[in-house]
Amino acid sequence: MDVATLSFGRKTLKILGKQKAIVAVALILIAMLFSSSNIFTRNHLFAFLVVAAPDLVIAFGVTFAVICRACDLSVGSVMCLSGIIAIQLINSGVPVFIAVLIAILSGTVIGFINGFLIVQQKTEAFIITLGMGMLLKGVALFMSNARPVSTQDPAFNSISNSTIIGLPSIVVYMLIIGVLAYCLLRFTSFGRNCYALGGDYEVAEHSGINVVRTKWAAFVITGTCAAIAGVLLSSRINTGSAIYGDLTPLLVNCSVVIGGTSFAGGVGGIAQSGLGIAVMHMLRYCMRMFRIDGVLPGINQHVQTLVFGIVIVAIIAMDCYAIKRKKEDV
Amino acid sequence: MLKQEALKKKRLNKVGDFFMEYLVLMAIVALVIVTAIVEPRFLTANNFRNIMGQFGPLSFTALGMTFIILGGFIDLSLPGMISLIAMITLSLFDVIGEVPAMIFGMALGVFLGAFNGTLLVRVGATTQAKALFITFGMSQIYGAISQLITGGHPISRLFIEHPAPITQNLSSGTIGDIFGFSSFLDSIPITFIVFLFFLAILFIFQKKTVLGRSINYTGGNFLAAELGGIPTKRIMVMIYSICGFMVAIGAIAAFSRTPVAAPEIIGANYERDSIMAVVVGGTSLTGGRGNVLRTVLGVSLIILLSNCMNLMQINSHLQEVFRGAVLVTAIWLDHRRHANA
Amino acid sequence: MDKSDIILSINGINKSFPGVKALSDASMEVRKGTVHGVVGENGAGKSTLMKILSGIHTKDSGTIVFDGETIEHTTPIQSIRRGLSIIYQEFNLVNTLTVGENIFLGRFKEMKGLRNSHKEARKLLDSIGSTIDTHSLVSDLSAAEKQMVEITKALSFDSKLIIMDEPSSSLTADELKRLFVIIDDLRKKGVTMIYISHKLDEIFQLCDIVTVMRDGFIVDTKLINDLTRNDMIAMMIGREIENEWPERPRCAGETLMEVQNIRTRKLKDISFELKKGEILGFVGLVGAGRTEIVRAIYGADRAKDLKIMINDKLLKIRKPADGKRSGIGLLPEDRKLEGLVLSFSVKDNITMSSLNNIAKFGFVNTSLENDIADRQIKALSIKTPTPHTKTKTLSGGNQQKCIMGRWLELNPDILILDEPTRGIDVGTKYEIYLLMKEIVENGGSIIIISSELPEVLAMSNRVLTICEGRITGEFNPEETSAHDIMDAAIGGGD
Repeated sequence: MDVATLSFGRKTLKILGKQKAIVAVALILIAMLFSSSNIFTRNHLFAFLVVAAPDLVIAFGVTFAVICRACDLSVGSVMCLSGIIAIQLINSGVPVFIAVLIAILSGTVIGFINGFLIVQQKTEAFIITLGMGMLLKGVALFMSNARPVSTQDPAFNSISNSTIIGLPSIVVYMLIIGVLAYCLLRFTSFGRNCYALGGDYEVAEHSGINVVRTKWAAFVITGTCAAIAGVLLSSRINTGSAIYGDLTPLLVNCSVVIGGTSFAGGVGGIAQSGLGIAVMHMLRYCMRMFRIDGVLPGINQHVQTLVFGIVIVAIIAMDCYAIKRKKEDV
Repeated sequence: MLKQEALKKKRLNKVGDFFMEYLVLMAIVALVIVTAIVEPRFLTANNFRNIMGQFGPLSFTALGMTFIILGGFIDLSLPGMISLIAMITLSLFDVIGEVPAMIFGMALGVFLGAFNGTLLVRVGATTQAKALFITFGMSQIYGAISQLITGGHPISRLFIEHPAPITQNLSSGTIGDIFGFSSFLDSIPITFIVFLFFLAILFIFQKKTVLGRSINYTGGNFLAAELGGIPTKRIMVMIYSICGFMVAIGAIAAFSRTPVAAPEIIGANYERDSIMAVVVGGTSLTGGRGNVLRTVLGVSLIILLSNCMNLMQINSHLQEVFRGAVLVTAIWLDHRRHANA
Repeated sequence: MDKSDIILSINGINKSFPGVKALSDASMEVRKGTVHGVVGENGAGKSTLMKILSGIHTKDSGTIVFDGETIEHTTPIQSIRRGLSIIYQEFNLVNTLTVGENIFLGRFKEMKGLRNSHKEARKLLDSIGSTIDTHSLVSDLSAAEKQMVEITKALSFDSKLIIMDEPSSSLTADELKRLFVIIDDLRKKGVTMIYISHKLDEIFQLCDIVTVMRDGFIVDTKLINDLTRNDMIAMMIGREIENEWPERPRCAGETLMEVQNIRTRKLKDISFELKKGEILGFVGLVGAGRTEIVRAIYGADRAKDLKIMINDKLLKIRKPADGKRSGIGLLPEDRKLEGLVLSFSVKDNITMSSLNNIAKFGFVNTSLENDIADRQIKALSIKTPTPHTKTKTLSGGNQQKCIMGRWLELNPDILILDEPTRGIDVGTKYEIYLLMKEIVENGGSIIIISSELPEVLAMSNRVLTICEGRITGEFNPEETSAHDIMDAAIGGGD
């Protein structure tokens, strides 16, 4: 009994020690206490969540791929493409519901193709999704003729811009997808199998897990989530454009890792990924809001990027350094 | 009887191996033949000159990236680095003159590369995934510094008062322009010669020198190389420095091609395209296998592809689709080849 | 013999891989409730046979009857569900998952969730007297604990036959004793076991019946009581050998290296000296700090206040490259992970460390490089089709020889051999012993670490026992009994 509680306490400490993301969030919030603009309001929280929602949805999907010891760098292009598809279909007279469904299915299909190449044909996820992202970007450019597209349909616009039980609808959708993904990963045979094959592919295979189908499904989920994010984003800003999302795939994959989902596979979860994205977006959001009246009118946009880069490097570097120290301390 | 059959099979396998090994070469040959038939303009001297002229920034950065991938790592800091080097070099033109500025730019490239490498070594990021994210962050940092230095404004060459003959001629000039003689060589673009020059040096370096060979060992098995007495950490810093140098050359080639250099645009997508060129050429992402000549094949395929599509007047956005499709297919086939071997 | 007494019978199994005939007409029968030993050199076909049984490989021809059922095609999971489990040398566990999840891996639905899995796992672990927490991660377990988890996993399928592939290779003496108790216990409960091992002592201690394999053939199956140790070795290698070890070299001269104060988290004040022409053995349990000592000397690990003097000259060794330059060579513990670049050729692996010596102005002389490779391949009789063959296609013994060749080319003053004969067949072992002898006769010194005590005792001039990061004794193996040395190595006496 004693041993159990002790090991539980140690485990919690261990998890906290690993969770640099929590520390980072705390530091950002503390810094904001000094800001003249008070961000600790409901409106700011909602505004923040609305901005972060699409990336969060993508991250929930990417988590599946990363837990299966892969990554997906095509999510940015999938996001652009699904937004453009939805809007163009609506503009050509397709009902909103069907247009959105087709847009989301496009992500499913792309995830399926990614899965085929990576899982069935055993190619390297990193490079093949990079190439896929390039290809899809071309498709998005071609479809939109490199110009932003928008629609007059109010129904489409209201997907992300209405309120459900007092919350912005885009946030509600994000939360629903998050809870679904969490349950899927946590409480189903499929989810546990993802962890198993991410931890050790061959052992999982020999244990009778259908590894190919499971990993394949993980990519389908990733693609679908990216497409859903595309619909949510384009509905929120009522624009679909091929120019978004150049940095999205790397940022999302990076945030997922910062949250504690390991690239070595088999470790992590939806909550961790959400936290990772929260760190990145909170940093962005807070830097934009940060000002001290009379002293600092605001932070230069380029300085923001600089800080952003330094934080990415610092968090990942700290993780690496901890592992290195542990390894050297023999 | 049995032996003979086996021998025959072996020989057949060898032919098959050759085809698989030089798949990209085959793809290039096929591309050339098809385009030559469909579009006669392809085979004109003018077009060849045009193609040679395309061996611009990407071919330099891809050469640099080859060493990093060969050593088992990856570098996503190219966009930021190119932007920073290009902007600083251009701003120095009026201060210290063109040639010193360029030398400074190259030194800066080596320094930034070495910084990347040292950082990775110091924090113990000895796997590709860790290097991926750290260099991605570094790209943001370099890019931001470049923006801060220029205030986010593009630099136009028209406003540079100091004469800059190299910059003006690097991309558009030919050998004939320099030496004035008129012969076949006359129409070879200068960038292409510069490219061949670095290719030769880097090829010899990689194949023949101890340091070059050590890169392969490091990429093949980092632990074994280290325990075998190869200074793996120094090799890491070295490959990032080489890449930094080649990126600097690439940055110079990049700003010499455009009259106005904007900090946020000039380096965009070079990391993606360089990695693609290297991998399509057949250098393995897992490290240890490949060489710079393969990268030349990869770069050639990309250049020829756009040349052919331009000649056929394919919509530029559709070109991007085709390019992506060809790259994905090339990588896919390459993986199949290694899976079978 | 009663047919119902036979749990597994295999008949005329053939299996070929490209270029190799791995199994020829292999037939054997395993009786219920026995511990059946399988011995043979590396490459004798033991692993191939077991992999066919488990369904990883498919047989070319022959029949397998398990528990009265003829098995044609099978997959790993099907064999396990039939009641045939294999515990491999490299454990078949997912490191990132908990013990409970590993035991019921892929059976989430059957177990109706995680909570139930953990409950069932607890019951099974208790039944073999193990106290491992089912919620702890497998990556936090020791090798012995992992083995317990594997056994538990096999039991969870109600296995009738459990095959253990070299189970003792990473266990300490104590842990091995516990394993034997568990195996004995299972035998009493009617579980049949096939026990594969290199270590003949274990076979004699544990098994009822032994099958000896050689070159893909099954030489014979005999009751253990009808066999002597020498008979068994002769059957394994196909000839009598007079000695398992060559005569001990005696070339120790003056002090060559002095090591003072190796201090790390694991090591406490390690100081010792090594003489010229001496073979110095390190004896201790796995994890006692043997490997850490040599890694610190070679510069692979950082140690505080480390003082190493060779020929009275103080050396600064901070990284392996320094160690190499100072005339030290290390043959690492794990040859696949730390020794070889498996996707590179034999030539590349041999010349890896000596490129600097054959280079002029940094340029490698290719013809000299080929000479080196040819010379070492010939000197060590490495069996490879060409110098350009990839090392991953070679057998374990030949791979080890490639690394030996790499160091012999450099001719270091001190060669450190960490488990040089692990997983290597008897014939090649003898060749490696001869090589060691040759090295010291030519004036080199050797430090050898091995988990096989008889090997260290037979080859060394001097033995240091290491226990929990300290040197606990220094012995002359010719004068001290193996028992006393082992006693010091496991920290007895105080």
